[in-house]
This record gives sequence, C-alpha cells and structure tokens, in this order.
Amino acid sequence: MRYLLSSISLLIMVSCVSYPKKNNFVKSEINTTQVYNPYFSNVTKDYVYKANLEFYKKKFSGIVIIKKISDQEHRLVFTTEMGNKIFDFSFYKNTFKVNHILEDMNKKIILNTLQRDFTSLLKEYNYSRANFLKQNVKIQETKVLDKTHFYFYDSTTLTKIVRVDNGKEKVVYYFSNSKNSIAQQILIEHKNIKLKIHLKGI
Amino acid sequence: MNKIVYFIFFIALGTVATAQTKMSHQEAEVLKSKVKNTADKTQSISSNFTQYKHLDFLSNDIESTGKLYFKAPNTVKWEYVKPFAYSVLFKGETLYINNEGDKSNVDIGSNKLFKELNTLIAASIKGDMFNTDYFAITYFKKDKNSEVHFAPKDPKLSDFIKVFHITFNSNGDVLELKMVEPSNDYTQIIFSNREINKVIPDAVFAQ
Repeated sequence: MRYLLSSISLLIMVSCVSYPKKNNFVKSEINTTQVYNPYFSNVTKDYVYKANLEFYKKKFSGIVIIKKISDQEHRLVFTTEMGNKIFDFSFYKNTFKVNHILEDMNKKIILNTLQRDFTSLLKEYNYSRANFLKQNVKIQETKVLDKTHFYFYDSTTLTKIVRVDNGKEKVVYYFSNSKNSIAQQILIEHKNIKLKIHLKGI
Repeated sequence: MNKIVYFIFFIALGTVATAQTKMSHQEAEVLKSKVKNTADKTQSISSNFTQYKHLDFLSNDIESTGKLYFKAPNTVKWEYVKPFAYSVLFKGETLYINNEGDKSNVDIGSNKLFKELNTLIAASIKGDMFNTDYFAITYFKKDKNSEVHFAPKDPKLSDFIKVFHITFNSNGDVLELKMVEPSNDYTQIIFSNREINKVIPDAVFAQ
C-alpha cells in the first residue's frame, strides 16, 4: 500500500515537473519584458497562404488570408481555392468575433479551437513572465488567453511557439523560411488531437 | 469655381462611362435566345481564366490564373496553375480533386448539393442560367456587351452567393463571371482565349 501511494505521488510529481525543467531550460538573467511576434505585423501587407489541413484521416485545403487592420486588430479569412468563404474572423485584443462561418462548422468546440489557435498565431505583443536559454535559443514564457505559451527565438528569429498545459505540449507552431518578417512556412500541430494545419505563403 | 465645374463634369463623365442601362423586354429576349442557342451548340469549351478574389479589407485582390475545360453535358475541369496547382474535375458521379499532386475524390451521386453545384458551374460557364424558378434575373446593357444579374432564390445558395453577374459579348459568349457574396465581397473570373467546340484531348479529363 505504501509502495502504491509513493509511486502515485511520484507519478504526480513527475507529471507536475514544469515544462522548462523537463526541457532543461536555464533561467536567463536577461530582463526582456516584451514578447514579440513579427509575422503579421505589417498593416500594408496582405498575408496570403495556401492551407492544407489534416484532421485525423480527413484532408481539407483552401486559402488563409490574414490582414492586420489596426494596432491590435487582425482579420483572418479561410476560403476554398475557388474563393468561397468558409470562415471569417476578427481578433481585437483578446476578443474574437465571427463575421461568417459555414453552418456545418458553427459549433462551439470548433470555434473555441480556432479562436485559441489563431489568437496565439496572430498576437503581436505580449508580456514576458520569465526568460530562459537553451544552448543559443532564447525562450520567453507568456500567457495567451490564460494558457501558458513559450516563444522560441533563434538569435532574433521567432521559430516556434508552444502552448503548454500541465507541463505538456498541447499545440506547437513552427515558423520556417522566414524573410523580412514573413514566415513562408507555418505548421500548427496539435499534440492531443490529430490536427495539423500547414500554411505556405503564396 | 472652375474647379467645381470640372469636378462635377468628371463625376458625370465617370457615371456615363460605367453606366449600365436596363434592357427592354425585347432586348432581353434577343440576348437570352442568342445565349441559349450558343449554349445548345456548345459541345466543348477550353479557356484560360484569371480570378480576382476581392475582400474589402485587403489592399489588393488575390489573383490566380488557370485553365477551364468543359465537355457536354456536365464534365468540367477547373484547374488553377498559379500561384498554386489545384484542380477539381466533375466527371460522371465523382468529383476528383488534385491538390498539388495529392489526389482525392468525392462521390457526388448521393449528394444533392454537389450535383446542383456541378449543374450550376456547367450552366454558368455557358451563361445559360435563364431559369426564373431558381433566379431573379435582370438584364443590362454595358457598352457593346450585356450584363445579366442572376440572384438565387434558394436560401441555401443565396447564403453563399447573393448574385451572379455574367457579362456576354455581342455573340452571346461569356466574357466574365462575378459571384457576389452577401457581404459584397466577390470573386471575379475573366475568361480569355476561349475556344468553343475544339477537340479536347481525353487526357485532360483523366484523373
């Protein structure tokens, strides 16, 4: 019995080990307070991506269009290749507005997932709660919609955002082929459900 | 003062230049029979197209180009070439999709919506959508061309497309197709190098 109890408590302790500890992040003394995502920061630019979605065994594709409307506002529209709108959202600060969504997709669970995924993708400025280092990668911890996120910077380039829950990775955003603050390739990968969103700049 | 006169003059000129006047009933009937006649004789169409997706909040329209192939009665291949490779092919009871080499298909035999979509696409390519059961139709003259507005009556369709604008040349051939959404955002498709009844190799419709 005692053995069982101690192994349970050990299990709990292991699962409670923080994400930075588990990944051997070293606390950094650099005092940066701002977390910055440069990828959708230019109001004069139309960000257009070919999108491929994998949800379990199903595949969908279309076009994702993102526009920074004003200082803290973004618009995100998903259409088919032929131009039909699937959904159209506005993000202002931490609020989210559905301008349009196909009836079949108008479900709370879908909307919540999309709101979280895209708020994390689009959020330009945030406050850093802690700074870490791992080899040459600078890591900043912050909160988006009350969930813990880690931003990874390879020198000054944002390469990855990780949403963490109970010390575990829930969603990972990979940015690659970045040039002039535009990421040509973005992958949003969910770890707890089989959902992947690939975005390729066009 | 002069400036104001010029200003008013230019506004008036602008209005005249883009003015579209409503057709008389007789003119509309002539156009309708011309288009139907051309459509009935059309066994195949191959054409280039340029698509402009207009969203009000964007700085520029999103441009894509590709090729369209049609074979009577209902086989349609809509193929985007730039800036991505993507095609849909309606053939028999199946919709074949080729997304950058990744192929999939959808059985449309049992799907009423897809069947209607197929019929609609085939009809819109030929411009022959003169069905007053499905559309509220208005006819306009626009320079030498005609523009016809087809507003869907079925809410299932009008939720997506408020109105189709089809521009015909004086022969009754389709020059341009515009699909306006309820939000007034639109997709505009301009056809070029349109060839009617020229043999299209079978390979085009092979998936």
